[in-house]
Amino acid sequence: MATPSSAISAKFGRTAAPALSWKAGRISGQNLISMGTRTTSRRSLRLRVLCAAKPEMVTKVMDIVKQQLALKDDANLTADSKFTDLGADSLDTVEIVMALEEEFKITVEEDNAQSITTIQEAADLIDKLVGDEGKAA
Amino acid sequence: MAPRLKLSGIQRQALALYRGFLRTARLKSPEERQMIESVVSAEFRENAKSVDRRNFVYIEYLIRRGKRQLDQLKNPDITGLSTLRINKVSSTP
Repeated sequence: MATPSSAISAKFGRTAAPALSWKAGRISGQNLISMGTRTTSRRSLRLRVLCAAKPEMVTKVMDIVKQQLALKDDANLTADSKFTDLGADSLDTVEIVMALEEEFKITVEEDNAQSITTIQEAADLIDKLVGDEGKAA
Repeated sequence: MAPRLKLSGIQRQALALYRGFLRTARLKSPEERQMIESVVSAEFRENAKSVDRRNFVYIEYLIRRGKRQLDQLKNPDITGLSTLRINKVSSTP
């Protein structure tokens, strides 16, 4: 698991900067962020869902993808792996998204489901949806 | 392979139908669910392989038929589905 984790941290580093700049944009008064419609008192939560998904999430998603595509345990997966590169066709992708939905108890909208092509994208979307659900509850 | 995001409308319809079947299968009992998933998956994969991608009339027919079957399957009284495989090869004399 050495290679995937290093890839994740690299991704993190890249996304950390935009997250900070968004924060700055928010403080200057303008609501630049279109998501997160609820109260202002939960600012930390809102910022959290904007960040890239946590490494644990990415690992969990990887496990499910591996299971769905019947890949070997030592298959070389990274957060940026495209499902199609792993040998998935569009039907497999639907199955992966459905499996993720079930695992994380979320519902992925039709449009979003079509746009997921990598593990990282899936993890980010799940993080966002799980966060939204926590807010709603 | 073509970029993933450029799916045609008819492709998206087919995938939406597949998703609908998988969603509906969840509502059934675990054994039936497994059965439904394997039947549906086999049907979609077989057609994806055997039907010419430009044969729109036939694909539209299949999607229509699938939608009708899905509507039936959504009925809570329907617990599962089964297939009847008629052996097309009649080589035996």
